[in-house]
Amino acid sequence: MNPQTYALSPPGNKALGAFGGCATKRRQLISLTPLIDVVFILLVFFMLASSFLDWRSIDLNTPGKGRSEAQLEGAVLVEVRNEGLRLSGEAITHETLIQRMRENSDRRVLVKPAQGVVMQDTVAVLDSLATAGVSDLSLIADQAR
Amino acid sequence: MRFLRANNRLNNHDAGILPLINVVFLLLIFFMLAGHLAASDPFAITPPKSQSEGRNSPQDLVILVSADGRFALDGVEMSEEGVIKAASERLRKSPAGETPGLRLKTDGNAPAARIVRLMQRLRQAGIQKLKLLTIPAN
Repeated sequence: MNPQTYALSPPGNKALGAFGGCATKRRQLISLTPLIDVVFILLVFFMLASSFLDWRSIDLNTPGKGRSEAQLEGAVLVEVRNEGLRLSGEAITHETLIQRMRENSDRRVLVKPAQGVVMQDTVAVLDSLATAGVSDLSLIADQAR
Repeated sequence: MRFLRANNRLNNHDAGILPLINVVFLLLIFFMLAGHLAASDPFAITPPKSQSEGRNSPQDLVILVSADGRFALDGVEMSEEGVIKAASERLRKSPAGETPGLRLKTDGNAPAARIVRLMQRLRQAGIQKLKLLTIPAN
């Protein structure tokens, strides 16, 4: 039994080294189709499971417990309303806000979104202030209502 | 002889789909490298757009706020009180020195007053590091 199988195998091994025989022998053993099936399944999995959203972040300052009300006094108040921006009570556009804040970018800025203002508008104001070089930013709530 | 011809046909057939497999492999590698796997959120949101360049920090906890007032902490939907309680609990349990921060993933159409109120309550609960997640404008 053993000699027989042994005698049969060498021609096969030789064929592996030869030009034509190799490929046909291999394909007979392993078909490509199941492999492609698996690759397709993996492809579909990665297409559905992966997300391409490029997340960024804005750091929000936390007024720590050390900060007292006194330190809020020198701060500039920017109100965000549905009809526009207000800098210390005066109606203002994004462009003028950037210009004004560039001159005193070391001041503390409080951003106060009014009732009914959506997050996108508030983030736009934070963006404008960041463009003006303001680093000390805080969001505060509208206490009026 | 018939056997050999069958083999040949098989060969030709296989050779024909090889370019297809190449393309599929390339697509597979592209999706594996370019996308990143993330657990899907319990509800869909459209994040606010911003020019901010701040880096995302995936190790931090994430609080999800929808436009219609639903809250979720790390993919589990709960009430506002539940979110605040669970977040401060988790931060307290983490080892000192490596306290994770908190990321707020809010809908762009959510009322800002609600988010600010949530932030204030989180701070009262002792959370120091807060970030707002956005996506680039274009």
